[in-house]
Amino acid sequence: MSSWILTALIAIPLVGALFLAGAPRKNEGLFRWGSLAFMAVNLVLSISLLSSSWETPGLRYVVDIPWIEQFGIAYKVGLDGISLWLVLLTTLLTPVALFASWLSVNQRIKEFAIAFLALESAMIGTFVALDLFLFYVFWELMLVPMYLIVGVWGGKDKIYAALKFFLYTMVGSLLMLVAILYVGSQYHALTGIYSFDLQDLSRVALPYSSQIWLFSAFALAFAIKVPMFPFHTWLPDAHTQAPTGGSVILAAVMLKLGTYGFLRFAMPMFPLAAHYLGPTIAAIAIIGIIYGAFCAWMQKDVKKLVAYSSVSHLGFVMLGIFSLNASGVSGAILQMVNHGISTGALFILVGVIYDRRHTRLLSDFGGLAAVMPLYAVLFVITSMSSIGLPGTNGFIGEFMILAGTFASNALQPWSRIFVLCAATGVILAAIYMLHAVLKMFWGPVTHEANKALKDINLKEGLALAPLMLLVFWIGLFPNHFLKPMESTVEQYLARYQSKLVEINRDDSLRLLPPELASGAAAPIDEEAEQQAEQQAAARKPSGDHYVVGALEAGSHTVSATAR
Amino acid sequence: MLDLIIRFSPLVLVLVGAAAVMLADAFSDKGQSNDLSTVTFWAFVGASGGAIGLWVQGDTMALHPLVAPFLAADPMALLLDAVIAGAGAITALLAGAYLREHQMERGEYYVVMLLAAFGAMVLVHSTHLLSVFVGLETMSLGVYSLAAFRRTSPRSVEGAMKYFLLGSFAAALLLFGMALLYGATGEMELAAIATALVEGSAHNTLALLGTALITAGLAFKVGAVPFHMWSPDVYEGAATSVTAFMAVVVKVAAFTVWVRIAVVALSAANLADPFSGWPPLVMGLAVASMLVGNLSALVQTNVKRMLAYSSIAHAGYIMVGFVAYAHSAAGGDEGAGDQALSAMLLYLASYAASSLLVFGSLIWAGSKGKEVVSYEDLKGLGRRHPWIGVAMMVGALSLMGFPPTAGFIGKYYLFQSAVNVGDGLIPLVIFAVLASAVGAFYYLKLIVVMYMEDQEQEAAQAVPMRSVHLWAAIGLAAYFVFRIGIAPGNYMEIAIGAARAL
Repeated sequence: MSSWILTALIAIPLVGALFLAGAPRKNEGLFRWGSLAFMAVNLVLSISLLSSSWETPGLRYVVDIPWIEQFGIAYKVGLDGISLWLVLLTTLLTPVALFASWLSVNQRIKEFAIAFLALESAMIGTFVALDLFLFYVFWELMLVPMYLIVGVWGGKDKIYAALKFFLYTMVGSLLMLVAILYVGSQYHALTGIYSFDLQDLSRVALPYSSQIWLFSAFALAFAIKVPMFPFHTWLPDAHTQAPTGGSVILAAVMLKLGTYGFLRFAMPMFPLAAHYLGPTIAAIAIIGIIYGAFCAWMQKDVKKLVAYSSVSHLGFVMLGIFSLNASGVSGAILQMVNHGISTGALFILVGVIYDRRHTRLLSDFGGLAAVMPLYAVLFVITSMSSIGLPGTNGFIGEFMILAGTFASNALQPWSRIFVLCAATGVILAAIYMLHAVLKMFWGPVTHEANKALKDINLKEGLALAPLMLLVFWIGLFPNHFLKPMESTVEQYLARYQSKLVEINRDDSLRLLPPELASGAAAPIDEEAEQQAEQQAAARKPSGDHYVVGALEAGSHTVSATAR
Repeated sequence: MLDLIIRFSPLVLVLVGAAAVMLADAFSDKGQSNDLSTVTFWAFVGASGGAIGLWVQGDTMALHPLVAPFLAADPMALLLDAVIAGAGAITALLAGAYLREHQMERGEYYVVMLLAAFGAMVLVHSTHLLSVFVGLETMSLGVYSLAAFRRTSPRSVEGAMKYFLLGSFAAALLLFGMALLYGATGEMELAAIATALVEGSAHNTLALLGTALITAGLAFKVGAVPFHMWSPDVYEGAATSVTAFMAVVVKVAAFTVWVRIAVVALSAANLADPFSGWPPLVMGLAVASMLVGNLSALVQTNVKRMLAYSSIAHAGYIMVGFVAYAHSAAGGDEGAGDQALSAMLLYLASYAASSLLVFGSLIWAGSKGKEVVSYEDLKGLGRRHPWIGVAMMVGALSLMGFPPTAGFIGKYYLFQSAVNVGDGLIPLVIFAVLASAVGAFYYLKLIVVMYMEDQEQEAAQAVPMRSVHLWAAIGLAAYFVFRIGIAPGNYMEIAIGAARAL
């Protein structure tokens, strides 16, 4: 029975959306609280996912039922340590964002609630889909509600921003669709049957020349979503025009789908291409870190500043992923969650001040600490988490990523230089965030309008409370969050390496043995499991902090000879 | 003889329906067209049901010698009968709502529509050049007069006139091509032409010239670039219910007969190499249609003109399947070839459902005195009338090729079949997906004006019409859009069955 939890997580918001669509428009309260109630059920249900024993790797809660049998397309969903936290992030952040939205959205309440519920359903679907066709469907479905949220409830240039967001994403994903179809047809050519199951398609060993193209198509779709430099230009527009709730979801969850896509699909399916293009992508990620930071520094509009800081932070995530060792990848996954929390909170805080002053220009503020002390405290805490101050969540993620990059074999011989450059990004983050804090909160109150501003109220506080809690929870007890993903990441990397070695040995078109496939359901065959456990035990000094242990990871990394 | 009538019951039922409507119109008082629309609807439903029944029954009765060389009753024809009659049923409902609202109701509309649909159905059954031509002209003459049906409107008459003149020209090209093909092979039956071409008794240059001319003539009917000039004017000028009928039925029938001629008569000789005969022509037409259709649709201000250009673009996508068929047939891969053909059929069906939904919503949004034709008229519609907004949005998303609608499955299947052919068609598929990304822009514009822009206060607002006929039509179209979009499995099966039997 419990395997249907994921399906329920997808279905409950959808049922909620249909229910609200049929409800009479007059009763505003029903839409405001009804939508939150459905999301709350989802949140509680998703927390029960933690009860699974996450010490062993592999996918659980797997449901696999045929959908379009002619093409072997199935409704296959499952959860592993990689997607676990992202699903929880979604179920937590969506109600928070919606709750925060209800403080300022007063028009077309019904449609807003429906759009948010549909969005939650599609996002969860994207995180748990294990069939590439299904993944693509959810990936596209996500676009429409977000498009409407930006375009209908957005600011002055909302239409431009919404169209740009939609078209950028669509171009990337259509090319990814062609790549998916190509891999599917190669699988058909090899086996005579169709399948879009990740477990099947990741067994196809493709020649280097086609891997490069296919990986590029996937990478383009995901890089636009992340967004990586130079495909990031839609992001500041979408963020500044979107309503607060839309920005929160966009930054906190939707961007993660890009990085998640690399991890789940692009790299395991095309390891050879990922291996050869990895350093290049890491370099682009570093350009993004520094470029995003400089752009953020120069912004006059605080919401744009936060938007550009996302470009910078997601550069770290990409760097961690392509460092391809336990510390880097775990750090990247944790940093995805961290970024969701801290940037989500920042957007809510910016929304709070915008609702009061109807401006977001840094120059319109100043001295707010005296007027709104509690607000200032929360803003500073969130900024610190965004910068990565020790004790907050951001520190753990960034430290692990930098540590992973330092020790990375995949990024040799540039790993040290990469760390150096990326670390500059941390310093720049401190500069632009503290710059914003300085402009907004310290100094004398220069504007008359700011003198009578009310401090943060109970509802706003309630929206921010869970995020503040998590900032410190992750910051002080990171192992609570790292433990469940540990075994999955180990197994993920081991599989990636063995598949890379195998394909590097012989990159002719053929079907690899099943044990090299990704996306197998747990429990996988016991021997490999035991091996993974032994390796994990051997690598980790007893009782030591996981971060330190992870530093020595990557010893089994194989550097393939250059082509 | 009874066998024959049963075998062709879809056609017979449509003819009987036409006769019944004609009689009913003659004996009824004026102003009863709603009832005629219902009669027409049931005639089409009967025809559709007949086709489905025959499909399910699935035996192969020998055809009466009277029709044997001219018409076939094979699975493909039955499938397309069902599609044409189904689309006819929905457009009959649309017409019932539209004509009454705008006070254009005249019984002959339904008679002409039924007869045009009959022509279309003859066309999809044709296995002989003569019956192809007769069917095509029966359909076209009906559609010409329907296009001119709004005779007080100069635009309607202008459009119909253009359509008629250019259509006649295209028919002449087609006829000339047929004559050349006959001259080259001495045969007019499609299968016999193929035999003659294979045996080498044919005059190859003549045959090639004939092929080119027939391709041009049919490309005109489906509205492929560069034979598309008529379509924006006709789409814009004609009454919206006519536009819907034209966009769907004519395109479906013309594509089917094109497939049949190309596959049955012209394949064997030409497909030894995919770069000879009609395949390169079709590839050129596909690329040009996708490019010109999508780019021109971007700049339109009239929604019906935009839909005209978008239908040109859709013709381009469908031809990608055509090219895929040619390549796989040349490579001797029959499975892939069948898949490509069935992808075209499924695409036609999904295109029909989504177009009908969009045109239906356009009709729905307007009422007497104020029709909705431009983006301007649609401003704020989604807010004022949420249900119309949702219907139009679903239709637009389906035309765009967005999950979970029919349009997505259609595109997916089409592109999958092209990719399966091998690496050779990947550039074409990439071109097609990029073209559909361009297409997304103008469909999104529909959503933009409906939901994100407000109408100026002084502008006259269109009031939506209220009509059970219309709601039924929208409901049916929406059902098929989601049915194909969410559970396409057995539709794919049917389409493959039809393609395999060809």
